[in-house]
Amino acid sequence: MMYYIKLSAILFLICAVAAGILAYVNGITDPRIRKIQEEKETATRAELIPEADFPEVKGTLDTTFVYQRAIDKKSGELKGYTFVASRSGYSSVIKTMVGVDTLFNVIAIRVIDQKETPGLGANCTAEKFTDQFKERDISRLVLDKDGGGEGAVVSIAGSTITTRAITSSIRITLEKLQAEIKAAQGGEQ
Amino acid sequence: MKFLSELTKGIIKDNPIFVLVLGVCPTLAVSTSVKNAIGMGFAATFVLVCSNMIISLIKGFTPPKIRIPVYIVVIASFVSIVDMMMAAYIPDLHKNLGLFIPLIVVNCIILGRAEAFASKNNLINSLADGVGMGLGFTLALMVIATIREILGAGTWLGIPVIPASFEFKPILVAILAPGAFITLGFLMALVNLIKERK
Repeated sequence: MMYYIKLSAILFLICAVAAGILAYVNGITDPRIRKIQEEKETATRAELIPEADFPEVKGTLDTTFVYQRAIDKKSGELKGYTFVASRSGYSSVIKTMVGVDTLFNVIAIRVIDQKETPGLGANCTAEKFTDQFKERDISRLVLDKDGGGEGAVVSIAGSTITTRAITSSIRITLEKLQAEIKAAQGGEQ
Repeated sequence: MKFLSELTKGIIKDNPIFVLVLGVCPTLAVSTSVKNAIGMGFAATFVLVCSNMIISLIKGFTPPKIRIPVYIVVIASFVSIVDMMMAAYIPDLHKNLGLFIPLIVVNCIILGRAEAFASKNNLINSLADGVGMGLGFTLALMVIATIREILGAGTWLGIPVIPASFEFKPILVAILAPGAFITLGFLMALVNLIKERK
């Protein structure tokens, strides 16, 4: 009996030391990781809609939904919105940052986080794929494999699930954004 | 002299993938391109060297009955530390390797070497074993990835290697999972053939 208590105590001790070290390392690195993440997001936003500031807005219908208004740095005019669309793809949650103009046509997209299959799904970050989203409105955010017909988003061969996740996440989140903006405007009037 | 033989045995004689057949899961997963292979190889080597050294140091203190959970705690802690440190201080490298770091925890080369070597040998030899096995793992990954990337994408480290005049259609299966098994099978046969001839 004593023997097993001793074993448990040793294991507990080792785990406690490991947990302590991990907590310490996390304490130092976490603020830096957050800062790097934020800087990266700001940089991506500036790539999507240049020359703008991005004040963040919280949704009123869905309070977990966050988007940014793109305000022109010089004139102060509203140029559009940016938001992050996410959905699980083939082997990871794919996050895409989307910039749209005031009429909700896509300006550009960037895949900011994905862990899809290297050589297949991971190719979704390539400009060859993301550039086809430019100037699309919500009705044309459909994949060719899903009956999009002519002018649909062309999926990457062997990566339909990845490309479908990106296309549909953008469409769904854009619908959400439209509803939020409508609600916000209704409130102002 | 023992130090040298511990260092070099991992490269061919006891190659972790072709001979010991350890760590096949991450091998199959990341050998789709040479860049991934190099990244995974070096990240795993780093963790392997560190965990081998720590486990060799605490071997006198660890009761044999609970050695496996202790090793796993040590390895997982190292992997988490490497992951967090890289994300905070070298974010560019982390962006490329980020995917592989959690995979290292389940790499049985590391647990295998802890159990078979580091728990029975001194610090210096454990260090040599870690470096040698790590390099052997990296080399084996690179060989498999070279074959798969050239066949499956027509490139090596992202550079096109097959002249455009030669009408080459990439063999998609080489990049997919079955391609990994086929390539690994042929390479193991080749290594066995070479070993038998000696």
